[in-house]
Amino acid sequence: MNRWLRQHRFAFGAALSNLRKAPGSFLFNVVVVAIALALPFTGLTLLDNVRPVSEQLSVDPEISLFLTAATPREQAQALAPQLRGILNSTRAKIVFVPREQALASLKEKSGLTDVLGALGENPLPDGYVMKLDGFKNAADAGRIDALADQLRALPGVDTVQVDSAWVKRLAALLNVLHLVLLLLAVTLGMVVIAVVFNTIRLQVLTQRDEIAVSKLIGATDVFIHRPFYYTGALLGLAAGAVALGAVALALRPLNVAIADFARLYASEFQLAPLPPLGVAALLAISAGLGLVGAVLSVQRHLARLN
Amino acid sequence: MIAFQNVSKQYSAHATALRDVSLDIAKGELVYLAGPSGAGKSTLLKMIAAIERPTAGSVLVNGQDIGKLRREGVPFLRRNLGLIFQQQKLLNDRHILANTMMPLLVTGASKSEAEQRARAALDKVGLLDRAKALPLELSGGEQQRVSIARAIVNRPQIILADEPTANLDRASADKVLDALRAFHRAGVTCLISTHDEQVLDGAARVIHLNQGELVKEAA
Repeated sequence: MNRWLRQHRFAFGAALSNLRKAPGSFLFNVVVVAIALALPFTGLTLLDNVRPVSEQLSVDPEISLFLTAATPREQAQALAPQLRGILNSTRAKIVFVPREQALASLKEKSGLTDVLGALGENPLPDGYVMKLDGFKNAADAGRIDALADQLRALPGVDTVQVDSAWVKRLAALLNVLHLVLLLLAVTLGMVVIAVVFNTIRLQVLTQRDEIAVSKLIGATDVFIHRPFYYTGALLGLAAGAVALGAVALALRPLNVAIADFARLYASEFQLAPLPPLGVAALLAISAGLGLVGAVLSVQRHLARLN
Repeated sequence: MIAFQNVSKQYSAHATALRDVSLDIAKGELVYLAGPSGAGKSTLLKMIAAIERPTAGSVLVNGQDIGKLRREGVPFLRRNLGLIFQQQKLLNDRHILANTMMPLLVTGASKSEAEQRARAALDKVGLLDRAKALPLELSGGEQQRVSIARAIVNRPQIILADEPTANLDRASADKVLDALRAFHRAGVTCLISTHDEQVLDGAARVIHLNQGELVKEAA
């Protein structure tokens, strides 16, 4: 175990020593990789801030079901058990609204008593108002479409209105943003791997003599590869830290602008930096990307030297 | 300790380095490989270190068949060998103490142990006082003695020296050979290739190679 730890310490020291030999080149590569990482990190920070807001939105969607004018009252009332059956899983509150009650409500709310009286007869159909429960967030709202389709298929139903369309749009938008962010992260992750790959390639070429001598004096492949792996991981880690720092700095001016906007909606919404666990995860991912780039490069270029 | 059994090495259809060579070298022997350039001396030494593999026949080192040795096993074979080259293959960006410590560090030895043994090895070749010098600050002969210190620091069973005195003046060459003979007297098996006839004076065993063939063996 001691020997194993000593070899890792040696490799780490060798990696640091190589970086110290060309600090300018290392810093340049850190900046390049940090720029590539900063974009997905920014996106992730924004989504991380928006997600709880969307989760707090009251969705509790309401479905209005209107029957055809020709549907008899008995048949309309007889639909209630079927509605309960369809909405069973949503703990819905179902209220039958007779056409007379609907007209009275309309007269009261619209102030169009004279106009409606002039019509002679009640133009409104019988209907139901169903308040759904059990929808925790915007993403859940997609389930309502399936329920609405089932309701539309019932006999005597003319129209079904779902009033949570905006919530669905928000959910869809968040999904798209997630997808875009994922694609961006994958693309820029590949950029990071490519930059590290090239950096390590140059290091392998620079240290060709040392590698050759090491092989002749009994160094194993693992011993030779390990410092390059550390270099790649260190490069990724440093770039990840720089990118996270840049994002944290960028939040300040952004929050000034957001505060003005949020005040218009009586909100105190502010963008917060990622929590420590998120920061640790991103640093680990950055180091991991660096390591992958280094492994690919070492496997390819040292194989050529062999 | 080392056995070549009908060994041939062909790099291409028109380039044959060794032809049907058979020889045995016992533990503790000092053997010189003589012959002109292109005789196959370096190839023979490279085969013992598994730098080259035979195309026919077998090379046995401590009972290990080099032709069948897996890639992962090569570093462990080389840790029992001390390799010395005509071009010393020292790393010019680090001082000679660091160069000498390398064979120990690759085996996982601690830095303090490696430094202590490297200093002892440099002392044996008379260069301890230059421990912190860079290779390019030394003469050719001194550089070659550093490469000997690096070769012996791991206390190898076998030393393979490929033209260690080439490009050296007589005085430097003698110092290098004296160092190698001292290790032989300490029980290390030594193979030294040379095309310098003066080196062979008083040699106990000389193997003459020419165009890849073993042409004469003198004892």
